Amino acid sequence: MAEKKTKKEHPTKKDTKTAAAKAAHAAKTPDKDLGKNARIGVYICHCGTNIAGSVDILAVQEYAKTLPNVVHVDNYQYMCSTPGQKKIENDIKEHNLTGVVVAACSPRLHEPTFRTATKQGGLNPFRFEMANIREQGSWVHMHDREGATEKAKDAIRIAVAKAALLQDLVPKSVPVTKAALVVGAGVAGMQAALDLANAGIKTYLVEKSPTIGGRMSQLDKTFPTLDCSQCILTPKMVDVGRNPNIQLMTYSEIEEVEGYIGNFDVTIRKKARGVLTPAEAEARGIVGGGCNGCGDCDTVCPVIKPNPFEMGMKPRKAIYIYHPQVVPLIYTIDFDSCVKCGLCVEACGEKKAIDLEMKDELVKIKVGTVILALGYDIFPVEKKEEWGYKKYENVVTSLEFERLICASGPTGGHLVRPSDGKTPKKVAFVLCAGSRDNTGIGKPYCSRFCCMYSLKHAHQIIEKIPGAQPYIFYMDIRSFGKMYEEFYYRIQDEGAKFIRGRVANILEDPVTKNLIINAEDTLLDRPMQLEVDMVVLAAAVQPSADTDRTRKLFGVSCSLDGWLLEAHPKLNPCGTTTAGVFLAGVCQGPKDIPDTVASAEGAASAASIPIHMGEVELEPYFAQCIEEKCAGCGMCVNLCPYQALSLVEKEGRKVMQVTEAKCKGCGTCGGFCPGGAIWMQHFATPQIIAQIDAFLLGGEQ
Amino acid sequence: MREYAFFLGCIAPNRYPGAESASYKTAEKLGIKLLDLEGASCCPAPGAFGSIDLNVWYAMAARNLVLAEQMKKDIALICNGCYKSIWEVNHKLKHNKELRDGVNEVLKGIDMEFKGTIDVWHLAELFYDPNIVGVDKIRDSVKVPLKGARIAVHYGCHLMKPKKERHFGSTEHPTWLEEMVAALGAEPVEYKNKMLCCGAGGGVRGYDLVHSLDITNEKLINLKEANVDALTEVCPFCQLQFDRGQIEIEEKFGVKYNLPVLHYCELLGLAQGMSPQELGLDLHAVSCEPFLKKVL
Repeated sequence: MAEKKTKKEHPTKKDTKTAAAKAAHAAKTPDKDLGKNARIGVYICHCGTNIAGSVDILAVQEYAKTLPNVVHVDNYQYMCSTPGQKKIENDIKEHNLTGVVVAACSPRLHEPTFRTATKQGGLNPFRFEMANIREQGSWVHMHDREGATEKAKDAIRIAVAKAALLQDLVPKSVPVTKAALVVGAGVAGMQAALDLANAGIKTYLVEKSPTIGGRMSQLDKTFPTLDCSQCILTPKMVDVGRNPNIQLMTYSEIEEVEGYIGNFDVTIRKKARGVLTPAEAEARGIVGGGCNGCGDCDTVCPVIKPNPFEMGMKPRKAIYIYHPQVVPLIYTIDFDSCVKCGLCVEACGEKKAIDLEMKDELVKIKVGTVILALGYDIFPVEKKEEWGYKKYENVVTSLEFERLICASGPTGGHLVRPSDGKTPKKVAFVLCAGSRDNTGIGKPYCSRFCCMYSLKHAHQIIEKIPGAQPYIFYMDIRSFGKMYEEFYYRIQDEGAKFIRGRVANILEDPVTKNLIINAEDTLLDRPMQLEVDMVVLAAAVQPSADTDRTRKLFGVSCSLDGWLLEAHPKLNPCGTTTAGVFLAGVCQGPKDIPDTVASAEGAASAASIPIHMGEVELEPYFAQCIEEKCAGCGMCVNLCPYQALSLVEKEGRKVMQVTEAKCKGCGTCGGFCPGGAIWMQHFATPQIIAQIDAFLLGGEQ
Repeated sequence: MREYAFFLGCIAPNRYPGAESASYKTAEKLGIKLLDLEGASCCPAPGAFGSIDLNVWYAMAARNLVLAEQMKKDIALICNGCYKSIWEVNHKLKHNKELRDGVNEVLKGIDMEFKGTIDVWHLAELFYDPNIVGVDKIRDSVKVPLKGARIAVHYGCHLMKPKKERHFGSTEHPTWLEEMVAALGAEPVEYKNKMLCCGAGGGVRGYDLVHSLDITNEKLINLKEANVDALTEVCPFCQLQFDRGQIEIEEKFGVKYNLPVLHYCELLGLAQGMSPQELGLDLHAVSCEPFLKKVL
């Protein structure tokens, strides 16, 4: 509020302003006396030997003392420690500092720490500047002490030049809507939604497929406990379905996202399901109607399609549910295959649940925070031609194997060979099928759960098929979790055969449809050939198909592999660089179920904090319009990627106005403005020019 | 009529002159004139030379390429080993300036320079390419369809791999040779371990004959099980291994297969109505008689 007030005030009424208002105004306009009486304190961190090992700290300290405006220089072993921070606090008072420079690690790691210390010392926290002499200095020039030292001097000189020109800035607070959105309702999304809902937060859970449950509901058993996946998942699915704080939106996709942390306006496309829920039926005045999941429609539907939940190994109709435990238990019409014969409408009768003319709906919601739990897909392992997937019938993927061994799967839990329905006795498991593969065809990363589920598969065939022999072709067995290594020993004891080496190729005997595996046994150091009845490829995983589209809507970045990027891999693993958007589960990188659930709980916790706080502070890095200079050309308005700018009428002329909460401080407008009328707070032109001068002139004025 | 400089290689003219003559004759019926590449040397053999000194391998292959460059003709050849050397060296020298400069430094001694102006083709590639010959044109050229003949195919490793540097589409599950066999009216037959090496290439035959025959034997067992009338390939070295190899296998392992092995050009020649003598089939180690009786 204080901000808005100052804008209306006349610049001459300085004495009536509050401290914050003063600061806000000072930042908004370039101060003529900027930097004239700056008193800078410089602190050089050893970071143990991380920096001191390659940088001559004392030489840098002596150098820093010679820099203009520097009135105090100190060094300390760990500046981020409490004594280190205390130095800053005390010195600000003692030496009457106007700015603080810490030469240490990356601002991503400790800028907040030192800002707090600066504030504790009585300065505005934005009077702090960091020089990165670790990641950009000692670490990259580890064996060049002289070079690293010189570079540290440069970095400090540049930071001091900026620090002298820093202004007081006041972060803006915005209220947070007390609702959250979770995108994707696999086990991660469900867990996150339940946690948020149980913390009293209204939660929208949006899922693109007709049911929740995700990949986990396709699994037969889970390692290493061997409990039935669906049995432990279904109660959670039911909980999600009936939690009053969760608004479940299945068969829906994110269409559009606007706004920022605390105030996301999200448009959701509710895809036409063709079937009314009881609530929807009631809204249309059909008393006691709507889908109750009886399945009468399914029986009469003449269209047969492969069921993707069963990896296409079981049929479904054009009106379908994936499996008996779906939540919500509502049928869905696949309008791409429906012939609109109307038989289902007839069979549904009085319930009048089916509407063949249903259209997509757009629903708008407002939420404070967002969790993305977009899950994963299986890598199209047929690209690795040498293994013959999709070419040889008896080569299947692990997910297909899960369905073939699952009691509710297409074969009622009897593992059969796809070619002839016979029970396979010799089954080979090919691990790292497309993972840890640098050929350019597969994925370079470890898919992280294949070793464990392949051990589980080996156990399952030994258990179910008398005399069955599993062969596991592996590169390493990565059984790193709790009770995982023990599980590995157990499977070894049960008699699974382990062969270390990546399978070179798989050929088929055209008569018997048996498969011939050519591999190298790298432990025996010799090539080997093995004929088996069936091969199971532990295919690599990749981000699910629409991850890229969805992440762009929320402004979340991704790695080269397409997995979503966390704000910091160690210290902020659930957050993203977009404030208010968090990540859960495998969309961030491969995870097994325990890790997925843990990450979902972490994301839920992180996403609930701003909501419970009720308001969030935004970094004050937004652009400001210097109205006296603004010609109202409006070029910046069109350039702004965040729709944060607009033209408003002021004193009879048009000037640009910034919606500060929307501005991300990217600088596009400031860089372009032909009149130099845009002031990028904290990255203002005089500050940047001072930095460039400091570097180029090498300290000479 | 398209003209190509025909690179003979060593095995065809020395061991299977039938494959050589069949190539000239069948190609001509399909609109391809094969011109003699005068002064050509060994390709050089990729396993033997390539494994020992790559620089020698590059330089010798480059010399052959320069001969064709001087004729201003693309090279056509019929041996997978030659393909590996000539095609691959051409490809490498065209794409790697440093390598090319090094090779040209050597060639300077004999007043030659590699310029990279021609392409290299396996004759089978020319036959299959619909823009050059194509399966339809092969089918049209057939006078004596090889009806009822069950024929297995062998592609050969050097022709198909490494995938990155080949352009046959699928190198693991190719079908083009089967299509070309079917065009002759014969029935292409699948067999176990089809894509496995013949046992000869990569210097294996030269280094360890018994081991090399062991691989061949494995393939022959599978071929016998598939009950085929003949095996066809597009490489005289594979042909040698499968044909003469049967005599050696009989000596060393005491097994007799009597499986006729024909280069695709020989098979094509038969279908185009040429006589077995004209195609030099009587020079094979394993008699082609039973097969000829069945198809002619």
